[in-house]
Amino acid sequence: MLASRLSLALLLGVIALPATAGAQAPSAAEIARGKYVFGATGGCGCHTVPNGPVNAGGRKYEGPYGTVFSTNITPDKETGIGGWTDEQIITAIRLGRRPNGERLVPVHPYTVFNGMAEEDVKAVVAFLRTVPAVKRANLPKKTLPMFESVLLPAWLTAFAPRETPPTTVPTSGTARGEYLVRAVAHCGECHTPRTMTMATDNSRFLAGDPKGPENSEIPNITPDPTTGLTWSEEEIADYLGSGNKPDGDVAGGLMGEVIEGTLAGYKDMTKADRLAIARYLKTLPPIKNKIGK
Amino acid sequence: MEFRYVRAGIVLGGLVALVVTGCATGQKSTMGPAETVAERQRLMKNVGANWADIQAKVKAGNPEAVAANAEAISLHAQRIPGLFPEGSLTDKSKAKPEIWQKWPEFQAAAKNLENRAGTLRDQAVAKDAAAVTTTVGTFGRDACGACHTPFRVPPPQQQPAAPRT
Repeated sequence: MLASRLSLALLLGVIALPATAGAQAPSAAEIARGKYVFGATGGCGCHTVPNGPVNAGGRKYEGPYGTVFSTNITPDKETGIGGWTDEQIITAIRLGRRPNGERLVPVHPYTVFNGMAEEDVKAVVAFLRTVPAVKRANLPKKTLPMFESVLLPAWLTAFAPRETPPTTVPTSGTARGEYLVRAVAHCGECHTPRTMTMATDNSRFLAGDPKGPENSEIPNITPDPTTGLTWSEEEIADYLGSGNKPDGDVAGGLMGEVIEGTLAGYKDMTKADRLAIARYLKTLPPIKNKIGK
Repeated sequence: MEFRYVRAGIVLGGLVALVVTGCATGQKSTMGPAETVAERQRLMKNVGANWADIQAKVKAGNPEAVAANAEAISLHAQRIPGLFPEGSLTDKSKAKPEIWQKWPEFQAAAKNLENRAGTLRDQAVAKDAAAVTTTVGTFGRDACGACHTPFRVPPPQQQPAAPRT
């Protein structure tokens, strides 16, 4: 009992440290932590054109909303986020709002990233500021009339599920796996089927999507024995680190991208974290949903 | 006597050249898209089976035994560009049209697989277990994934590995 109080006090002390540090420059440890979390998101790869400058944006995304391009999130003051405060960047990551109040199109999954713990988001911001600045103007988006002013707010209120941040970062067990899967690694963005409104249908969380991004059929990764993921925990953890599947195939497409990442990716997660993800996936309700022929 | 050997060599060399040229050109002219897709999928399955075998051997503590598998992958890799003639897309194919839009990159990716598999073979032949283990650690991502990621639509379900032939 005393030990648990003591460890709680220690933990609170550790959490309080960055707050008391105020506007001091982030420590090397915080930047390293930020890089780790950045990798666990898949390297924020949407913001990098394959083989292009990291985080400089410009990748095209088309959907029923119109056409958008990922933005420059390098520390360039003029074209990137170098002129934004930490709070402004965190608001964009969590709430999808630019400093000028403009809404982000939720191709950037802010409703999901809102599930990240404060200290992890702060660490990511500290890391983003260390990536080389690239001067590259954002490309203009073309969205439906009144999309940002009317349709998007209505959709966010009525349909979009929103993750909530934990008070502390889970550090082990399936709680750690759940945190990584649901928030940081944002697995549901591709692996969860969508409703007619394009919101993720979380009643079928991770049950696969026959019409996923880039016209891919996204596998069902619930533990359903006939249509889902039947690999062992060890095999899942290995796959996330190496791209190797038990049948000799190797990951490609968007999954290949997030495993490889940019400056870091899923592959850079510790074995313990990859196993935590695997264990959490095994606790999901199995959902029968055959994807592909 | 020596002249006879030289003459035999020239005749034999000529024959080999004819057969090789015939095979190479004949393959392109006779195979339709469906056959081409089936042939390359068979080849890729075999690459996958060899890759699974390599990983199993390394896990079993026998990294020096992967030379034959690595050699097979290296040889298969040489055939990859020839199995992707332009327009060889069917509904069974998972190839992306980007292959033909970025053909030099695709060729380079196949060459990369050939070279890396060749390196792995050489390390295994040299019985350098540590080097084999290191190469195998990143081979999937660097040699296979580097081509799968830009050029292949991921399969939706896991397929059982084909037997190695």
